[in-house]
Amino acid sequence: MAKKKGCLGCSFPVAIVVGLVILAVSVVSLLGGAFGNALFGDVGLPEWLSVSAPHPELPAATIFHIGSIPFTNTMITAWITIIVLVAFFYFGTRNMKLIPGRYQMIIESIIGYILGLCQDIAGEKYGRKFFAIVTTIFLFVIANAWISLIPGIGSIIVHTSEGEAELFRGVNTDINFPLALALVSFVFVEYWGIKTLGIKYFTKFVNTHKLTSSIGKLFKGDVKAGLAGIFYGIIDIFIGFIELLSELMRVISFTFRLFGNMTGGEILLLMMLFLAPFLLAIPFYGLELLVGFIQALVFSSLTLVFANIAVSPTHAEE
Amino acid sequence: MDAEAMKLLAAGLSMGLGAIGPGIGIGILGYGAVQAVARNPEARGQIFTNMIFAIALAEAVAIYALVVSIILLFVA
Repeated sequence: MAKKKGCLGCSFPVAIVVGLVILAVSVVSLLGGAFGNALFGDVGLPEWLSVSAPHPELPAATIFHIGSIPFTNTMITAWITIIVLVAFFYFGTRNMKLIPGRYQMIIESIIGYILGLCQDIAGEKYGRKFFAIVTTIFLFVIANAWISLIPGIGSIIVHTSEGEAELFRGVNTDINFPLALALVSFVFVEYWGIKTLGIKYFTKFVNTHKLTSSIGKLFKGDVKAGLAGIFYGIIDIFIGFIELLSELMRVISFTFRLFGNMTGGEILLLMMLFLAPFLLAIPFYGLELLVGFIQALVFSSLTLVFANIAVSPTHAEE
Repeated sequence: MDAEAMKLLAAGLSMGLGAIGPGIGIGILGYGAVQAVARNPEARGQIFTNMIFAIALAEAVAIYALVVSIILLFVA
């Protein structure tokens, strides 16, 4: 590696030291991981440098009990996320100015971004209505994903009555939380649909309008149109059934999308740390930051899209 | 073949085969999005958002495969 004078904004000696440190870390990383063990055999590195194979556990570990309620490590992280979010937005909006400072600017641009997204998809009127839930989902998911990516947060081990467990673990990797969030999203979508369209909302699922009207036509003597109408009416009922099924499948899809992405990401990072410590995990950290953002965006905006579908009147009634 | 080997094989096959479809799908989506941006560079933001949604829907299938693999490896 040829180093120019004043390389990378550092003075010459500093650049050499940095280069040497990077070189040393790469050598250790190559030798200490599973790759190195397979290539060169055991070279006798000290014990604390080697990383043991990860054993991911899917159920969250119970840290302590409050009364008879088990309190898991994922719940601790969830509450930390809530506290961080509340503090961040409380202190940022406590004394707002007309000309915002840097801190207020960050908050305004976050909120403005999501509000813009809402109004892009759902229009001016409904965008403002869906905004609160969508923002809550987005901010919680992204804050939790990024908090559980802080280096070292998963390595704090506590001793509990059931053995050793991590103190903090991202709540997105516990299947119960994505399920709860998916149910919240589902319930709100149905609520908005029923509130906006009233009883008409259910005609999407039980669509007998065409069938009954064409039976009427059949009795009036219009046999050809009546029979065709009955045929299409039965198809409509069937489509309504599929619609109902897909409404319920959304919950499962929401749950496993978030859970799978986050758990997969965490296991990926652990595996990369195991294969070659220090170095190989760094690009995947960047990837996981992006995945956290995209999953938050996807969860919140799919809620938005489904809510928008729920409040738009169906085209079934003529 | 004993049960443990079968489990590992099933987990690998599940993820590998399950990634084929979403891979093709995301490839097509990326192709469409790049072409759309090339034709109309001003609509970049909107195309990107829509592409992300569609990719998330396609990717969900791969995620199901991943979940099956994880369950096979660590739970079953």
